[in-house]
Amino acid sequence: MGNEKIKIDKALVDKLRKLAELSGYSSVEEFVTHVLEREVAKIEEAGSEEEIKKKLKGLGYIS
Amino acid sequence: MSHPISRRDFMKAGLGAASLFAFGSPRGAAGTPLRVPGRAATRLKVIVLGFDGMDPKMTGRWIQEGKLPAFERLRSMGAFRPLATSVPPQSPVAWSNFIAGTNPGGHAIFDFIHRDTKTYFPTFSASATEEATKTIRIGNTIFPLNGGKVRNLRQGRAFWQVLEEHGIPATIFKIPANYPPVPTKQRTISGLGTPDILGSYGTFQYFTTEPQEIHEDIGGGQVHQVYVINNRVEAKFPGPINSFKKDRPPVEIDFKVYLDPQNAVAKVVIQDHEFILREKEWSGWKRLRFSYIPTQSASGICMFYLKEVRPHFRLYVSPINIDPADAALPIATPESYAVELERKFGPFFTKGLPADTSALDNGVLDDGEFLEQDAFVFEESRAMLDYELDRFDSGLLFYYISSTDQRQHMFWRLLDENHPAYDAASAKTYGGVIERTYKEADALLDHVLGRIDKDTLLLVMSDHGFNPYYRSLNLNTWLRRSGYLHLTNDFKQEDLDIGFPSTDWSRTKAYGVGLNSLYINQKGREAQGTVEPGAETDALAREIARKLEDFTDPKTGERVVFRAYVAKDVYTGAHSGEAPEIILGFNRGYRISFSSPLGRVPREILEDNSSKWSGDHMGAAEILPGILFANRAVAAENPALYDLTATIMAVFGIDKPKEMIGTSIFKE
Repeated sequence: MGNEKIKIDKALVDKLRKLAELSGYSSVEEFVTHVLEREVAKIEEAGSEEEIKKKLKGLGYIS
Repeated sequence: MSHPISRRDFMKAGLGAASLFAFGSPRGAAGTPLRVPGRAATRLKVIVLGFDGMDPKMTGRWIQEGKLPAFERLRSMGAFRPLATSVPPQSPVAWSNFIAGTNPGGHAIFDFIHRDTKTYFPTFSASATEEATKTIRIGNTIFPLNGGKVRNLRQGRAFWQVLEEHGIPATIFKIPANYPPVPTKQRTISGLGTPDILGSYGTFQYFTTEPQEIHEDIGGGQVHQVYVINNRVEAKFPGPINSFKKDRPPVEIDFKVYLDPQNAVAKVVIQDHEFILREKEWSGWKRLRFSYIPTQSASGICMFYLKEVRPHFRLYVSPINIDPADAALPIATPESYAVELERKFGPFFTKGLPADTSALDNGVLDDGEFLEQDAFVFEESRAMLDYELDRFDSGLLFYYISSTDQRQHMFWRLLDENHPAYDAASAKTYGGVIERTYKEADALLDHVLGRIDKDTLLLVMSDHGFNPYYRSLNLNTWLRRSGYLHLTNDFKQEDLDIGFPSTDWSRTKAYGVGLNSLYINQKGREAQGTVEPGAETDALAREIARKLEDFTDPKTGERVVFRAYVAKDVYTGAHSGEAPEIILGFNRGYRISFSSPLGRVPREILEDNSSKWSGDHMGAAEILPGILFANRAVAAENPALYDLTATIMAVFGIDKPKEMIGTSIFKE
């Protein structure tokens, strides 16, 4: 599996490192990956919910 | 008064023989072979006409008044009975009872709307669309590497699949709850449940200079503000989501409308179409092609209606139906059946319930305009029925009519002075719409009676009856006030977003999703369940059911819920465990609110229903039976939907599959 580098502001990296340690993550990479995965899942879910909402609305029984 | 058919007459009709076979006799009295291997071999002919929502009380009353002579003739030839409906009496559930010959425990369709146990979010009950799982992106375009698919979620075998196994030909025209059509070599075309090209139950487009007149968040439609500049309107017509593009934008088609400077006339220019409409004129079907990427496109059909040219420009466009000549989604078996119908009739309605009730409910179409549109639907149904009758020579023909249901939903308010949306002025013109609709059904039946021979068995059925919808129950609000559902903020008055975003699941024991369904928040099933499955869930379900049945409306003093069915008491079959724990059977005049089914928690428990959607059928099954007419005497005193499936098996001499629970209505 390939790795990509992403530039993040140093102040934020320091904050992430501190939080990763406090939360018991083994590395800042593990922490950042976990947080991003969680956020992406939320966005994906919200997108599909929006589509379901639109689809259901044509059903006259509901509004 | 109907009389039981003598066995001799039954034999003459070619039916008794089949019935005997069902009892194990290999041959009929006349020696006719009964189990036939191929299309030409069966002489039996069965026609089932399905009028959605026809009510036995209204039918009976208008028969007595001499207004439905064909139904009276059919009754005198055989029988008229109330037909026990499903629990709950929703169309997808009820027609599935007939299709599978089971109760919902056998076919797993419990409501229009189910829910995702992980998110508590409402989902379609009838079908699921799966997009391609493997894709490749080039620039902004994503290409699917494997095909997405759509699945019919109804379980069990459809009766026409069983007929096929026994060599009995069948044509199944627009039966609800069969989208996508289940695999078969029989001719079938899908009905209720078939989406429009946007994948929704129906989304109209409305282009107007006065968008503020329409609520911005209307169900079932999109409103677009346009401007008239130099007698010209330019707009974009939104199509399906483009899943080939990174941000999934809708595919859009630019179009222009040129207004005649003097007269109430306009010319619409869209793709290769140029057509002139007078004010208040319908365009007929127009075919549009939505291009995703240069090599991929989808075809849809829609109708334009020029509501007003000036002072305010208003153009309505119907939901974009799947094009039967080039169907982007599966709507028929074999696929050529839809193409064949299109060649004969031109484009035709393919969306599940074709009449645009949302446009009427939101004031985009008025009463007369809605009825004009639904008249197209009815006329089309009539013409296609004739086509099917022309070539029907053996086996079974099922034919479905939607207008009876749709018009009762929308025009009850003008039939009934007690309805909160009753309007005396409108009632003068449209108060008789429902009666006229029953008379149109009668005329259609008269036509069929005139075309069939004496040996053809004719069954006329509906899936449920109808009653007024005066008052709405916000089930989730009732659950909250009763201590079974909690919001994260106890002081919050209401939560009007769908999908329970503010519900505190750690303290919630029960919730309502769908039109009749109540679920216990079970540990191990729901993502944040709180109630142990088994005895604890059962006891809680019975406690809530009792309280619901005791609950009275302070405004009327009447009980809101006539029967709160505990699923374990009413469902059998392999899928009973997937059912909601309680199915609400509302009292006459009551229904779930418009907002509760999607997981909202409004402020009030009960509200008046002042919408045009004014008749409904979400009540207890006991108070909303459908109709059954037959041109042969019927032995069963209290037939049910699944008994008709067993009847079809018996008539064709097929041993009833073990999962089917009914008995033949002709069995003595």
